[in-house]
Amino acid sequence: MTGEDPGPLIRLFGLTGGRARPQGEAFDLVAIVTTVSGSYEPADLIPEHRAVLSVCRRPTPVADVAAHLRLPLNVTRVILGDLRREGLVTIERPRPVAQTIDERIYREVLHGLRSL
Amino acid sequence: MDYAASEPGATAVASALAIKILIAGGFGVGKTTMVGTISEIRPLHTEELLSERSVGVDDTSGVEAKTTTTVALDFGRITIREGLWLYLFGTPGQDRFWFMWDELALGALGAVVLADTRRLQDCFPAVDYFEQRGIPFVVGVNCFDGARRYDPAKVRRALGLNETIPVVLCDVRERESVKHVLTTLVTYAVEGV
Repeated sequence: MTGEDPGPLIRLFGLTGGRARPQGEAFDLVAIVTTVSGSYEPADLIPEHRAVLSVCRRPTPVADVAAHLRLPLNVTRVILGDLRREGLVTIERPRPVAQTIDERIYREVLHGLRSL
Repeated sequence: MDYAASEPGATAVASALAIKILIAGGFGVGKTTMVGTISEIRPLHTEELLSERSVGVDDTSGVEAKTTTTVALDFGRITIREGLWLYLFGTPGQDRFWFMWDELALGALGAVVLADTRRLQDCFPAVDYFEQRGIPFVVGVNCFDGARRYDPAKVRRALGLNETIPVVLCDVRERESVKHVLTTLVTYAVEGV
């Protein structure tokens, strides 16, 4: 045997078709991904796609999906972009901070931290 | 009217939100330790694969081989309630990964800049970064064993910080201490709302 095992890189290449960026609109590291309920699940899904659909039945941030899959974030994002294009998941659109983190949320976070 | 409040489950899902907090500072200052101390899960580790094109080239004259670099990102999670999470991201230490900071910082609630008084200059780039972008941050002076206990006012002066920016002494191995740093950050950030 010579050289390093090329397996992992080839596998990653296979998952994304060599693409480095997801298709469609950009999404954040912590954008919420949700499996579209009741959607038809194609029989030929690869295991990683199935895993995403299973995890995201509960709304799950992108970073957590990557950790579940044990895949690099950008590979995960390509996979998520593909699933979105197929209509199997929705990915929250980027929103300005002012619209997402209001004072009520701040108070909740503060309270949550204090009671840890 | 009390229609929404009576259905907590439905409301939570509709408004699921993950909030980013960045943990920045020089190499070896305790970023990963801090994330691990407070995270409810073992810090999750993911990697970004970068092509040589996005990394930039150090000195590759005569080097033909394609290189792939990975940037490790450690992150932890704190669940505030169903559908509301805090994510703590340790920022990549090396300067050549600045471009990743932009993405991490986008929409972040704020940042903790960890400082080691023995190498205070290591946190200058992080302080500059957050100041320039108007991202709320606090400075946590990590009190390592053997490091002299510094007066926060001296650290503030050495870093040239605005009077309003909190400087707190901390021990990133201690849960209560990390909680204090984070609540200080959130309190500071809320004032800007």
